[in-house]
Amino acid sequence: MELEWRDVSIAYRIRDNDGPRSLQAVDHVTLKIPSGGTVGIAGESGCGKSTLAMSVLRLLPKTSTITGDILLDGQDVSSMSFGQLRAVRWTEASIVFQGAMNSLNPVRKIRWQIAEALELHSKGSWKDEKGRNARVDELLTLVDLPVSKAESYPHELSGGQKQRVMIAMAMACDPDVIVADEPTTALDVIVQAQVLDVLTALVRERNLTLVMISHDLSVLASTCERLVVMSEGRIIEEGPSAQVMGNPQHEHTKELAAAFPTIGDPSSRLRVGRAGVTSKPSEPDADGRAARLEVRDVTVDFSTRGSKVRAVDHVSLSCAPGEIVALVGQSGSGKTTLARTILGLQQPTSGEVFVDGKPLPRRRKALRDYRRRVQFVPQDPAASLNPKLTVYEAIAEGLRIHRVPDDERERVAEALRQAELEPPERFFGSIPQELSGGQRQRVVIAGALALRPEYLIADEPVASLDASVRGEVLALLLTLKNTLGLGALVITHDLGLAWNIADRVLVMHQGRIVESGPVEQVLLDPQHDYTKTLLRVVPAGVTRDVNRGASRADG
Amino acid sequence: MSDAVPSALAPHEAVTPSDEPIRGASLGRYLATKALGAAISLLMVVVLGFFAFRILPGDPVLSMTRGRMVTPEEIARLRREFGLDQPLVVQFGRYLADLTRGDLGTSFFYNAPVSRLIAERAGSTLLLTGTAAVISIVLGLWLGQRAAWKRNSGFDKATTGLALVFWSVPTFWLGLLLLMAFGGPLPTGGMITPGLNATGFAYVVDVARHLVLPVAAMVAVTYAQYLMTMRSSMLEEMTADYLTTARAKGLNEDGVRTKHAVPNALLPTVTIIFMTLGHLIGGAITVETVFSWPGLGYLTYQALSAPDLPLLQGTFVVFSSIVVIMNFLADLVYRVLDPRLKAA
Repeated sequence: MELEWRDVSIAYRIRDNDGPRSLQAVDHVTLKIPSGGTVGIAGESGCGKSTLAMSVLRLLPKTSTITGDILLDGQDVSSMSFGQLRAVRWTEASIVFQGAMNSLNPVRKIRWQIAEALELHSKGSWKDEKGRNARVDELLTLVDLPVSKAESYPHELSGGQKQRVMIAMAMACDPDVIVADEPTTALDVIVQAQVLDVLTALVRERNLTLVMISHDLSVLASTCERLVVMSEGRIIEEGPSAQVMGNPQHEHTKELAAAFPTIGDPSSRLRVGRAGVTSKPSEPDADGRAARLEVRDVTVDFSTRGSKVRAVDHVSLSCAPGEIVALVGQSGSGKTTLARTILGLQQPTSGEVFVDGKPLPRRRKALRDYRRRVQFVPQDPAASLNPKLTVYEAIAEGLRIHRVPDDERERVAEALRQAELEPPERFFGSIPQELSGGQRQRVVIAGALALRPEYLIADEPVASLDASVRGEVLALLLTLKNTLGLGALVITHDLGLAWNIADRVLVMHQGRIVESGPVEQVLLDPQHDYTKTLLRVVPAGVTRDVNRGASRADG
Repeated sequence: MSDAVPSALAPHEAVTPSDEPIRGASLGRYLATKALGAAISLLMVVVLGFFAFRILPGDPVLSMTRGRMVTPEEIARLRREFGLDQPLVVQFGRYLADLTRGDLGTSFFYNAPVSRLIAERAGSTLLLTGTAAVISIVLGLWLGQRAAWKRNSGFDKATTGLALVFWSVPTFWLGLLLLMAFGGPLPTGGMITPGLNATGFAYVVDVARHLVLPVAAMVAVTYAQYLMTMRSSMLEEMTADYLTTARAKGLNEDGVRTKHAVPNALLPTVTIIFMTLGHLIGGAITVETVFSWPGLGYLTYQALSAPDLPLLQGTFVVFSSIVVIMNFLADLVYRVLDPRLKAA
């Protein structure tokens, strides 16, 4: 079934400080996807890609107005009656939403939710409940889920399983067109690879037309024949995936492509951002005992309802000043628990954390002093900044807690300057809501810097940021390392990030460090099976050179 | 959490003890925890019920005999009769022993067992508060979800505005107003027309006619809390992604609302419904007094004006126990409604 947007513009009526106005989300877009074609739409948040995708089934809020024609198999979706539209929804085109998020109804069982679509468009054998149940079982098998999962509620499934359910649900009424809206965002790399496998296999076997949306060019390149790059509501570049990825023409596309570095490519090693901030790899210091943060044989157990779970299993690591160490692993590998233990927020079951050879203090005052030296940068700046506090208050809070005697205003300004928010005075009165995602993360980092720490512990510092902003924030971390000699432990599931900025990398799996060493050694010549698997599932387009690296290792 | 994985990745997948959801396995444990909590609350109610009324100022025997010619000997005899001459510890022990037999003591004023007095009137209170609660909850929830679905519409503004006006009106004042306005066509007090001696259907009609005004007063001042809770909880659900999923499947707006949004929006209202249900029974005091409804509230009012110590103590224990039991029920119902609690 053919899908076509003919000179489509979509505007939202919004209301802000200047009163009601119209926001152009999609601006004169013309795009044609032939039957059986697969197209990826890329772009940063707010570029209009989701609006464009949702317009296929007219799933836009009432405040939107559509001009132009959206043709699904020659029929104009935008002029259908609501009844006609409902009949088209899910039978001709269906959508795979971000299942890891809140796209499944939390109080209904999986079987109920899939069967609901069958019941709405009942035909043939789905007219009775028995037929529908059989169909649900068949659909779950199709996405490699055990049939027993039908009796589960969404919260009982993992992120990857939920995403499979979303795919099964989308396939329910045998549609010809599938729109996948960020289907793997928020999944870690291994699960992402599995979900993409399921989706692409279905698309290939059934000759479906696929429209896939993502902010990650490499994910799209590995699943779609053609790529479309959007910015500010317009299509700025379009072409076969390999061409767009390999030889991007538009500035913005280049930025998007560069945001996900090629592991093994020397031009992106310790070099990030538009300004191309670089850094020398830090020398392994001669006297290993010198000032450093050290974790010695730490184990953390959690007991839940009788059963014991070992989150961190005899882990040792160290981080010297001026060194960036990347801790890489899947969700559930114990990375965050380890970070909490280092920050003194989690009592280890055994083992200890040392700073400068002294164990992490337990007494309140000493612990406070320790925390001034080791600061934390959490994952999602939107959630970690108090929405009611101004930037100034947010940064000054740490200074007040630690009763720093210096001039508060000066220290706040200094921290903002270090975080490259200039002029600092301009940001004093801002509240987080008025800032962009990248600015917010800079404010969080400034809050940590205000205390002049020696180490930063950053938990997925760029996972919630757009591609171009990601580069800027990573560049900032490199700059801080260069100018302040800051040591950093960066927790991430993103191997590209490690390649970008880290000196050493530690691979964590099921609570254990399975491999560690200099970045080049671990990423180009992985020894442990798990590291190899991680590298293998990084979407194609990013790993071009890894295969070379791996074959070199074989030879 | 683990995932089904292609074989190549299998050795590296996180292993969880059991991949299948453990549902219902911990039901016993959950029940035990909640029941224990409720039992502790009940025990505190019992203890408080005794001591709270012992530290009140005023001598109950003197108040009872006020305005009558009594000799000090008679007062002493009354004290002995009611056990008030005993030390507090002995009184408390007797109170506990009696309580285990369901004996709440003997009313000074009515000179009858408190438990019997309460049992006699419990039915009429349940009739009044039950009817009012059902109407109030259904009305509040229904209006609340409609108002949220069409937020900022005329319907939304009118219903929430009106509900808040009623919510802020004093119950007795509204009751008196209703009496003045409808006192003619509808009966103004009591539960049955005296001397009518109706049976069967005629009796039902008679009671129903007596119910109209007190129920109206109670509903008017209580339905706003259900409306506002439902409205805000519904507004929260309305931006949820699973509603977009439901729309994309081809559901019409009514289906999206009733099958997806409402079941989720109901969850937060369950807690408040059960909490207010417990209080409704105690809260009937004003309405029962204004409309002379022969229920527990009216009984409490009379016990207060006496003051009738055992009777007050008895109604206190009963009212508070109902609140505790309702909260316990809320926990149970919530668990049935929200599958996510079962894993927690």
